[in-house]
Amino acid sequence: MHRSVQHNVTLDRTFFALSDPTRRSILERLARGPATIGQLAEPFGLTLNGVKKHVGILETVDLVITAKVGRARECRLGPAQLDDATGWIELYRRAWEGRLDRFGAYVEERR
Amino acid sequence: MIDELRLERVIDAPPHVVFETFLTDDGQAAFYGQDDPGWVLESNCDLRVGGIWTITFGSSHDRLYRHRHIFRVIDPPRRLVLATTESRPDGSSFDFTIEFTFGPQDGRTLMTVTQSGFPTEELREEHGRGVPNAFARLARIIQARA
Repeated sequence: MHRSVQHNVTLDRTFFALSDPTRRSILERLARGPATIGQLAEPFGLTLNGVKKHVGILETVDLVITAKVGRARECRLGPAQLDDATGWIELYRRAWEGRLDRFGAYVEERR
Repeated sequence: MIDELRLERVIDAPPHVVFETFLTDDGQAAFYGQDDPGWVLESNCDLRVGGIWTITFGSSHDRLYRHRHIFRVIDPPRRLVLATTESRPDGSSFDFTIEFTFGPQDGRTLMTVTQSGFPTEELREEHGRGVPNAFARLARIIQARA
């Protein structure tokens, strides 16, 4: 029971982290390769602190990992638990498919 | 870009039959039902724009899901739009929009179900909970990672 609750907290946090357009853009940028906080800030016109805040949220769910490289902090995609999130969506999709199938069968049987 | 979850099925009956059936108690029960013994299903539907349709379902009384739908659009026999809150057995909940369409296809019906996330970023931030507008966002990130 406790495990299940923990699992959902992580899932909620992952989805929350993905819910912001800037954070998604940061992930898309990092999918092309590592970048420093400064490099991430440029295209978004954000302050360094603004980017740090977004990166921090992504870091808490392991979507991003950061490391100090010289004077800069380099960000790259993390080991994220996207398997949990994709699994959730797959179950969700199947539940709705089942509903549509059962309803279709019901309409057809009545004819 | 995938911004939603979309499912479809061709049903061997014309759109007005499928549409009307969907809004009957038995049609809704078929949609949310399961053959499992002990499956719980309770529905209360106020069919009008702005009306609330609450449906509680699940494998047992301690594992219940609830959909609270508000009818936003009722356009017979073509289209239904619902603003929905899903509450889950673990106590979490999230809001999304469901659009059903019923299109004619050679005397049959192409029924689609499209789900999309919160109507606005503000609303989602305000609610600050659950699984906001998840499908697309995740799909996009996963594609980017692949």
